[in-house]
Amino acid sequence: MGQQVVRAITVMDPIGLHARPVGQIVTLVRESGMTVTLRRPDGLEASAVSALKMLAMRVKVGESLEIVIDAEDSEATTALGASIEALINQV
Amino acid sequence: MELKGIGVGSKAVVGDVFRLETSEAVAEHQKTSHTPGEETSVLATAIATTAATIRSETASSDPTTIEIMDALLIILEDPELQQMAKPHLEAGFDAPTALFKALDEFAELMGDDEDFKSRVGDLRGIATRISSWVRGIAQGPSIPQEGRWIIVADDLTPLETSQFGPSVVGVVTELGGPTSHTAIICRALSLPAVVSAKGAMALEQGSSVLVDPVGNRVLPDSDLSQATQSISFIPHADTPLITVRANIGGLEDAKKASATSARGVGLFRTEVLYLAQASEPSIEQQTSAYTEVLKAAPAGKIIIRTIDAGSDKPVPFLKLGNEENPALGVRGFRLNTKHGGFVISQLKAIAAAINATGRDVGVMAPMVSSVEEVRTFAALCAEAGIQSVGIMIETPAIISLMPDLAGLVNFVSIGTNDLSQYLFAADRMHPELGGFSNPWQPGLLRNVSQVVTHAKALGIPVGVCGESAANPLLAIVFAGLGVESVSAAPSAVDSVSEALRAVGAQKASEAATLALRASTAEDAEASVRSLFEGD
Repeated sequence: MGQQVVRAITVMDPIGLHARPVGQIVTLVRESGMTVTLRRPDGLEASAVSALKMLAMRVKVGESLEIVIDAEDSEATTALGASIEALINQV
Repeated sequence: MELKGIGVGSKAVVGDVFRLETSEAVAEHQKTSHTPGEETSVLATAIATTAATIRSETASSDPTTIEIMDALLIILEDPELQQMAKPHLEAGFDAPTALFKALDEFAELMGDDEDFKSRVGDLRGIATRISSWVRGIAQGPSIPQEGRWIIVADDLTPLETSQFGPSVVGVVTELGGPTSHTAIICRALSLPAVVSAKGAMALEQGSSVLVDPVGNRVLPDSDLSQATQSISFIPHADTPLITVRANIGGLEDAKKASATSARGVGLFRTEVLYLAQASEPSIEQQTSAYTEVLKAAPAGKIIIRTIDAGSDKPVPFLKLGNEENPALGVRGFRLNTKHGGFVISQLKAIAAAINATGRDVGVMAPMVSSVEEVRTFAALCAEAGIQSVGIMIETPAIISLMPDLAGLVNFVSIGTNDLSQYLFAADRMHPELGGFSNPWQPGLLRNVSQVVTHAKALGIPVGVCGESAANPLLAIVFAGLGVESVSAAPSAVDSVSEALRAVGAQKASEAATLALRASTAEDAEASVRSLFEGD
């Protein structure tokens, strides 16, 4: 397994990780060309290009989530991680 | 034949029926003689083509609609969904059937997820369009741009209302209630509507109908002269028969309310201040927020309701979790058990803002149903230094307990929306139970009368702050029942105020007697209306 960048966040959106941000994440991650996974503390994870899998994790407000990017730490991964976090917590 | 329903809006309109319905052949399950491989590529092409069409159709909508539609399309385009469809294709079903089945499976997986439940109708709507493309069946829901159409449907989803253009002049739905998505959208778009109209789907396509929201009915082959007129009240007194206050959620509303004839605030919904906060604001931050609102609020008494949140209206920093039955769960003052620290900080901040502004403020607790809860709340208020203490009347239990509240509360306020929900055991948002939310229900009005009787015995005032008080006729009925104040959204304050300046105590009391005597909501409204039509 290669290098990974992990960004830990707490979901602040009152309705959790829901359809609208999930759609925006898919678009963003596809554009970035990187491999990104969302991971819950219990180990359940979903590819960030699968809206269905991310929704099926049923992440609620207040839960922790890790944004895992398969790449070396760089400005680009930091920016992507921050953008995904901003999409999840648009509150 | 005339159809009865629940009117939304005050203007009638005539137009031609445009029935939005799904042809059964589009939705039915079908087997295919093609190979699973062939159907797989049919499905992929159908999804891509339909998604492109919908994206171009919604390109000129508002940004929120575009984002939501895009999210829905991304879900349908997800290769995972096609994976879920695969076993059904291999079992010999055609592409649309496999898609419907995959969506059903996914919906089941999402269970009671509220956000997803509200989107699943739209997802099925898009799947239906994909199906009609595959099966070559002409697609129903394409509203002509020309003409004057009355959209008739079982109920409307955001996907459908987002397609409304200038050719849509009115709406009739078989299901839904006064607080359903359809009613809210129609109010926002100023589209006359009648919801919960049984028999609507039997209206003939293209036939002319009159949508008469004031009369709560739909009349075939009629013109505007047959529409029920909204009663115009001619004010003759300088002040309304009872106090009219405004309902607000924050600073903007407070400013709007000050531009109306409102005498103070009947309901300040404080949860609005917290819904977007990731962490609990400090007492100082809360105090300055309340001070700003109190300064901007219209002259007169201001009634503040402590936080009314729950798992259906979550506040991020309270971590309310998920509940099987949010309306019957930990909400309103029940939050005090687990989040007492927050309730105390809220009361302290309110007390500080009262001191800073010198305004006359009452503070009330939402959703109480036992004497212990009222005692706890009164003690918390006393400790924070709040003088005027009240409770919301929203549960049947607290009505019968009112005689035991002597010395504990200085006022009560009736929230008719939630009181209806709990009296009738009918979810406010349930599409098929809209009729129970009708504020003319005698089952509700007789309980309001009971509350007034108990309050008179205690010597404390009663206000009504539910949606119902925005209806001028009902405001008169409440005045006649002995309610001391009503409050409504700032936009409705002036019309309620005018009506209450046009009637005297005698007439209001007659209206209340008629409303109480009626056995059905329809009779209650009709008899009160006829009392004023002669004027």
